Amino acid sequence: MIRDKRSEYLAALILVGPFVVIYGLLFVWPTIQMVMLSFTDAPLIGPGDWVGIENYVEILTHRLFHNATWNTAYFVLLTVVPNTLVSLAIAMAVNRLKGWQQGFVMACFFLPYILPVSVVYLTWNWIIDVQYGLVQYIVRPFNGGEPMSLTRTIPFFMPTVAVVTIWWTLGFNVLLFIAGLRNISPEIYEAASLDSAGRWRQFRKITWPLIWPVTALVLTIQLIAQLKIFDQVYLFSIGGRQDPTIVLVQYIYKLAFQQNKGGEGAAAATLLFAMIIILSVLQYQALRARGEK
Amino acid sequence: MADIVLKDVSKSYGAVEVLERVNMHIRSGEFIVFLGPSGCGKSTLLRMIAGLEAVNAGEIHIGERRVDNLPPSQRGVAMVFQNYALYPHMSVRQNMSFGLENIGTEKGEIARRVDDAARMLEIGALLDRRPAQLSGGQRQRVAIGRAIVREPQAFLLDEPLSNLDAGLRVRTRVELAQLHQRIGTTMIFVTHDQTEAMTLASRIVVMNNRKVEQIGTPMEVYSRPASRFVAAFVGSPSMNFIPVTGIETGADGLRINVAGAQLATTIRQQPKDKGELTLGVRPESLRVAQDGAGDITGQIALVERLGDRTLVHVTLADGSNVVAEDEGKSTLAAGGPVSLKVDGTATHLFDAAGLAYHAD
Repeated sequence: MIRDKRSEYLAALILVGPFVVIYGLLFVWPTIQMVMLSFTDAPLIGPGDWVGIENYVEILTHRLFHNATWNTAYFVLLTVVPNTLVSLAIAMAVNRLKGWQQGFVMACFFLPYILPVSVVYLTWNWIIDVQYGLVQYIVRPFNGGEPMSLTRTIPFFMPTVAVVTIWWTLGFNVLLFIAGLRNISPEIYEAASLDSAGRWRQFRKITWPLIWPVTALVLTIQLIAQLKIFDQVYLFSIGGRQDPTIVLVQYIYKLAFQQNKGGEGAAAATLLFAMIIILSVLQYQALRARGEK
Repeated sequence: MADIVLKDVSKSYGAVEVLERVNMHIRSGEFIVFLGPSGCGKSTLLRMIAGLEAVNAGEIHIGERRVDNLPPSQRGVAMVFQNYALYPHMSVRQNMSFGLENIGTEKGEIARRVDDAARMLEIGALLDRRPAQLSGGQRQRVAIGRAIVREPQAFLLDEPLSNLDAGLRVRTRVELAQLHQRIGTTMIFVTHDQTEAMTLASRIVVMNNRKVEQIGTPMEVYSRPASRFVAAFVGSPSMNFIPVTGIETGADGLRINVAGAQLATTIRQQPKDKGELTLGVRPESLRVAQDGAGDITGQIALVERLGDRTLVHVTLADGSNVVAEDEGKSTLAAGGPVSLKVDGTATHLFDAAGLAYHAD
């Protein structure tokens, strides 16, 4: 069918226009503003004077920034790979179920994902509570029979929040993995079973390489999400000392909204933005290259 | 090399029975074809021999061993799947060596067998490619190669030609027959294509509706079909069926009344059930009488010219439609009358239950 070129362009404009306007107004423009702001000494509200790279120098020599960077990196380490592996294991188990059982179990694992972070926080705060938390039954024998606050004992804070985060978010990864597993033809497993490949060899030689593109995607999504970690860490640290467990977004929040340093906050945000882009692109390329080898 | 014996093999999914007490004895080195329409259970039967489907009742023996409780890998069979089921992330060489690596075959031996098979199948130049970089026919060869390197006691092939285009299918069919002659291993081949069955098989197992209808050589199945189903399913164009209005006993055999004519046949056996009888006659035994002095007359409905012969669709006096043959240079045209000569020595009689009686 031959269409009029001008009406084609018009249709394209009508379809794409709203997105471009919203994207530009709510993402591109604020991002440019943020970068501009990071070179000024502006407070949270109102303009400031141009100070060059002073904010960056200030932040990069700031002990709390280093703290936040390490804490974020530690959190990424505790969540990204474990979450991906646990999700894959659950997906493979769920994938073996049939019919309504599969749907039911899948729903059970997905349910936490739809909860708001406040509900997740309150639920787990009860579970780990020092006085009546269920988890204390496990903690006590390892702590000389005494209960222990997992969120007030600094070395346990990040691992605890990491476990909660994995529980909360793995439903979506399980979904991605199940979609990936369903893409592998059952005939390939039949051929492998005729080829004398046992379960472990089938996993290592068939499932793992064939699911790799999904694994790479899940790892990258996880990396981006966990670099931006804020809510859980912030909520679980309320009422305690926040600085030892501070993460990067929390650091930005502290600079901009608690210390009224808009310029420095913007500089920290710009640094995080660059970090996320560089790390995720690097990781995705590395993972893709691995898959193609 | 080993015989494959099936004893009362049955299969059901819940209340749905898909195979009912199947018995057969496949001799070592035979090329057996399971032939039947979709859903007759032929692929299921093959998968049960392979160990990919559980057997509900009965026994399967390969060689001296009873195998129906063994996992697929221990049955000594190799399978070629309809969609080839090649490992997409492995090269052709890896695809072919995978099975041998899994059983700990020595590296040099693996390389030797893969190279031998590749040479035999002319895929030596493709060994480093991935399946996605191959054409359908090449994938087919790799799938066969993957089966060959394992040096199995039997090859199981599940409609392996159905994904190839027409020309390639005929060529691959010939190559498969040659391959069987060369390596001499038992092959079980599943198809719904009767030409593949007729050309490849040493014996055909015709299956229909959960049961084996007939086991026999291609010519037995063609000329002495055990049932009306087999008669209709094997042969192209299909056998003609004409309702019988009466039978008398003649000197050489039964004289059968159909469509207002009496036909002399050499069918000697009296049907047990004389209720509803049908006469079966293949198009090549129902020829146009050039002099007009045939056994039966009708009206030409359609003429199909195939070059070497002509198929004439005829409506008989009782309204039944038959296909008759005429020579390639036939001058017949639709609408005119025609007289047909029946070869009474190549007729079949079917009773209401579908049982067959043949002319001797």
